Amino acid sequence: MAIQFIVILNRQGRLRLAKWYTAIGESQQRQTIKTIHKLISSRDHRKQSNFVLFENSRLVYKRYNGLFFVLCISLEDNELGYLEVIPLFVEILDSYFDGVCELDIVFNFYKVYRILDEIVVGGELQDTNKTTILNRIYAWDKFA
Amino acid sequence: MGSLRSFIRAVRSSRTIADERAVIRKESAKVRTAFRDPHLDEPHLRKNIEKLLYLYILGEPTSFGQVECLKLLTSRSYINKRLGYLAAMLILDENQEILTLLTNSLDIDIKSTNPYVAGLALCTLGNIASPELAKDLYADVDRMLDNDPNHSSNISTPYLRKKATIVAAKLIDKDPDLSELFIGRIPMLLREKSHGVLLGALHLVRETFIHDPTSREILRKQAPVILSHLRFLVSTGYSPEYDVRSVPDPFLYCSLLQTLRCLLDKDDNNPNLEALNDLLAQVCARLENSKGSGYAVLYEAVQTIFAINSDSSLKVLGINILSKFLSLKDNNTRYVALNTLLSVIEYEPLAVQRHRNIVVGCLQDGDISIRRRALELTFAIMNNQNIRMLTKELLKFLGRSEEDNDLKSYITTQFTLACYKYSPGLEWTFHTLIQLLEKAGDYFSDDILSSILALTMQNEDKELTKKLVIHLIAASSSPDAASEFGLSLITIWCLGEYGDLVVGMPNYKSGKLITEKQEVDQLELLLNASILKKSSRRDQIRLYILTASLKLSSRFKSAKQIEHLRQMINKFKNDTNLEIQIRAIEYTEIFTETKTIKRGLLERMPPPPRKEHQGIALFDREAGREKTSSGESDQKKDTGEMLLDLLDDEDDVDDQKAEESTSGNAGISESKNGALDILNDIFGDTGMSHNAQQPAKKQSTSNKDILDLFGSVRGASTTKKTEAVDKISIPETAITAYDDGNIYCGVDVESIGDGKANLDIIVKNISSASTINGITVLCAVTKKQKLDLSALTQRELAPKELGKLKAKILGPSGSKVKLRVRLSYNVGGEKIQRQFDFAGIQKRL
Repeated sequence: MAIQFIVILNRQGRLRLAKWYTAIGESQQRQTIKTIHKLISSRDHRKQSNFVLFENSRLVYKRYNGLFFVLCISLEDNELGYLEVIPLFVEILDSYFDGVCELDIVFNFYKVYRILDEIVVGGELQDTNKTTILNRIYAWDKFA
Repeated sequence: MGSLRSFIRAVRSSRTIADERAVIRKESAKVRTAFRDPHLDEPHLRKNIEKLLYLYILGEPTSFGQVECLKLLTSRSYINKRLGYLAAMLILDENQEILTLLTNSLDIDIKSTNPYVAGLALCTLGNIASPELAKDLYADVDRMLDNDPNHSSNISTPYLRKKATIVAAKLIDKDPDLSELFIGRIPMLLREKSHGVLLGALHLVRETFIHDPTSREILRKQAPVILSHLRFLVSTGYSPEYDVRSVPDPFLYCSLLQTLRCLLDKDDNNPNLEALNDLLAQVCARLENSKGSGYAVLYEAVQTIFAINSDSSLKVLGINILSKFLSLKDNNTRYVALNTLLSVIEYEPLAVQRHRNIVVGCLQDGDISIRRRALELTFAIMNNQNIRMLTKELLKFLGRSEEDNDLKSYITTQFTLACYKYSPGLEWTFHTLIQLLEKAGDYFSDDILSSILALTMQNEDKELTKKLVIHLIAASSSPDAASEFGLSLITIWCLGEYGDLVVGMPNYKSGKLITEKQEVDQLELLLNASILKKSSRRDQIRLYILTASLKLSSRFKSAKQIEHLRQMINKFKNDTNLEIQIRAIEYTEIFTETKTIKRGLLERMPPPPRKEHQGIALFDREAGREKTSSGESDQKKDTGEMLLDLLDDEDDVDDQKAEESTSGNAGISESKNGALDILNDIFGDTGMSHNAQQPAKKQSTSNKDILDLFGSVRGASTTKKTEAVDKISIPETAITAYDDGNIYCGVDVESIGDGKANLDIIVKNISSASTINGITVLCAVTKKQKLDLSALTQRELAPKELGKLKAKILGPSGSKVKLRVRLSYNVGGEKIQRQFDFAGIQKRL
């Protein structure tokens, strides 16, 4: 059930963000990222679906320019539903950074984590209202 | 000391990987040194933790900074605390011992009056909770769930409640006993209006339901509330903050449906089912024409339709939605639709059938995973009516898909089995199989090839056999087709077995008459074509050619062609493969024997018994991995055995040949040893001596196979009416076969002679007091004989009672009756299984 991990990779396989909701250990994490890149970067996104079987779970991914947003979910989860989580996340990033690009994520990865933590907790979606989430994040920033 | 920003810049501006490594190593070392300083002040600690996080993203080891993260999150500054928690969530996980040091900070921070701090702590707990943290902190989380307006003093904000619900669910996952505590909060939480809290509450319901079976009845009572939320969502208009492309909060929709499915699954008498049925119909109607996220909701609704006890009209609606998914351009919806159709075909096979054309259309899809699923679905919907039409599509698929080689062996296996099952006629089957062999002959498994040979032998229509052989000759005479392994093998075998029958008949392709010379040439052509194959396949073809040549030599008339065949066998005497060499030398010996001996030895093969084949699955659905793989191996064993049976007979020929050449005995009778060996093979008993030439793997035939072997006999015979029998006394003529103090087993000869025997097998309970039940008697006879076994008159015997079963044996006259019997029964709660041989009948058939 639920999201097992979320990673953002660029086309070269560089990790831009990784959030694990199950404990698998550092080395396993690195291995998984490599495998995911291999699995996903070779796919033809026009002809192929956005779902890939991965070990005993399923990867749901979307590509935005040079970045792959990948969620790993259980086989019994609604893959179409989780596919909608990615645009939700990206649209929030887009509003926040006023047109998000890879560099925004590279230099502000800790902010991206913060935003993600407002959308997903422990692998579960906690809110889907973009306005509330954004207002919350703006309020956080006032502390800085 | 540089900042995080300059570190990131330095990494990015590195020209080579070596440069980059150097930058990272240097920075990593700096961070480690800083952490060693016991007087590191907070601003510096903060900077270093920032860098540590970047190291984490770069995939560098970061566990050395765990303690520092914990230090930072105790800071009084909110910003530092925030960074500390962020780092803790990334660098720690529930398996780290150091996590216990986090308990106190979390405890303090969750209680904080600052909602941001409390939120941070909750979020951290939700992400890395361990069973220990769950035990220590559940009370804090429980307090956060409180939304009763009467407790206004400590009521939490919806912002914290939504986090707390998810955290509570997580804690239940870590410590299922906590469900008892949190379940009390669920009714109030489900009454919340905030979508965030509702999402969390629904998740909490599902987790509780899964982890705590005793909670299920209580949770099912909440179904009406969840239904009312769903009803509201269906009837509600536009709500800007939650709509995703004009679908009102698809996430909440999915969660509501998922929860209802979870609650009402397998609860066919739930009073809320009717309301859910209505709502599902409404959801489908409302979202039918929506796009994007609407599909996600529709998909969730369809899954719910098939999980709960829904109306059949709703199920048809579900299938229609899926078929609409299939017809869309979007690969994702097609993918889920095929997956779902595969799992629901058992509920509504007819409704799925109606969308056959769309399914078949997906065979041409650009996405391999869609093609795979479409293929599996095609086989799933195959039946007597549509096999002709689907066959055309599948052959087209095989002809076109160069890239899908890994799918071909799946197709050949499934297709061949489907042919056996749904074929409109044997001629059609043979015709189709030849086309299949032509197109994908390299992708047949040995098991399937041997099953095709078995089918050929079982066919009693000689004219059809001739047609088959002529077709095979025509098909394999083109150079392309000759290199297809499966086609070559079948052709060679059929030439050897039936080649003489078609001499003088016209070839379909060329119109010329088939001559003996042409057949020999064909063998040679196939031999030459096999050179390019990998060695195991090449050797297999050579072995088949050897046997075919020998067989043909006894049936051909032209001395020139027989000589040609002899030379062919002779050539193999120098083969590098030892087995081929041995075989060639043996065969040259046989070649010199007189015609009568050869005729007898090289008779046509008797038809092997029919076997059930199991299909294979391409995918493991719903974690059925083990099931599928065992199914696959069963099937392999099953058909593999058939191949062994064929080989067996060849070996027997060799055995007999060996014996005869020493004893000079011209008659072909079954030697005692041979018969025992055959019995051995049937039972896979490793305790008895084995023929050296038989492949070693034969010994691994498991007992289960016996059951498979006899399963059909048993199944068929139980339907027969059983006669009333004398329940007490054993006939005087009965010969005792077995007696263990509990049960007696004897054989009474009713009649014997003229190649058949009618036996009564008597089973009697001879124990003093205990009832014996679950009695099964399985018998086997030698291979040349056939056995027809009736059902046991009763499977349960009271003391002194007896049961009978009739055995009819058919076989060559003069052969001896030998039985191997497997007897199993339950007595006093213990399952006993015995096996014994019986050869006590003096008369011969």
